[in-house]
Amino acid sequence: MSPLENEPGLFAEAELRRALRLDAAELPPRLDAAALVARMREGPSVAVASLVSAMLAVASAAGLIVGVTIALTAIAPELLADGYGLALGLVAATAIPITGFLETFEQPTIPIAALAAVMFAIAYEYGQRKERTNAIHTP
Amino acid sequence: MAVCVALRSFDPAIAGVRRVTFADAVRDYQEEVFGAALRITGDRESALDVASTTFLKAYRAFSRYDQTRPIRHWLLRIATNEAISHARRRSRELRRRVDVESGAEIVDGAAAPEEASVAREARARIRAAVVGLPELYRVVIVLRYFNDLSVDEIAKITGRPPSTVGVQLLRGRALLRQALGDAQ
Repeated sequence: MSPLENEPGLFAEAELRRALRLDAAELPPRLDAAALVARMREGPSVAVASLVSAMLAVASAAGLIVGVTIALTAIAPELLADGYGLALGLVAATAIPITGFLETFEQPTIPIAALAAVMFAIAYEYGQRKERTNAIHTP
Repeated sequence: MAVCVALRSFDPAIAGVRRVTFADAVRDYQEEVFGAALRITGDRESALDVASTTFLKAYRAFSRYDQTRPIRHWLLRIATNEAISHARRRSRELRRRVDVESGAEIVDGAAAPEEASVAREARARIRAAVVGLPELYRVVIVLRYFNDLSVDEIAKITGRPPSTVGVQLLRGRALLRQALGDAQ
């Protein structure tokens, strides 16, 4: 018995020993060394199978990568040409409406300066109103 | 025949030391290995798995095992490490399945609910509380109070300093006392 056997605040050692003992119902079935060794010997066949399977997977993956690379190399110039054509089409499709819009600013009949002055006046007035509203609502 | 040859081939490295074969180790220590695994994992199936894995690992490493050292300690070291890994894996799996009832199962899978006697119930509660201890304390408590090892022996098995083992034993008992209240 240790000096701390019945120390208050610690669980009693003797009771712990009794509780942890194996009951008859808990006893395991007997393990047979020869059976364990036999089971161990079965191991390598599983290991070999998994090795073969892993090697097959690696070979398939490598084949797939090589195939994709060859295919890409073969069709790359065509893809590039198609991409170039597509990009040109997009530029043309966006440039046409933009050109029309820009042309309006080149018209001498439209007083751009007057339009800008009106927009500036509107913005100024809007700012002033905001300040007045703030002044009213601030206590 | 081949198995017999394999079992006989484990000669002790040093003459004069009692020859311990793998078959001897299995026969002499299977109950102790199983019991330690059962008290650490709290589950019979897991303990059976741990025990057979322990002996399989021991068989694989038997030729490298230093026969001058006690085989019991060597087996218990493998068993406790296996039991802890097994318990971790199992609690991760159960957490994934989530449900409070299975949580109760982890704590005390071995305890039969229909246990009638008060003494049996008390033992089951103590075992469940041991399984519920953090693994740091659980291993030393099981090795000390189930396997009856000394603090120095536990220190060798766990690779912790003896003073640490002593403190962990006291702390483990304090935690058990807290968990079980004044029931003892």
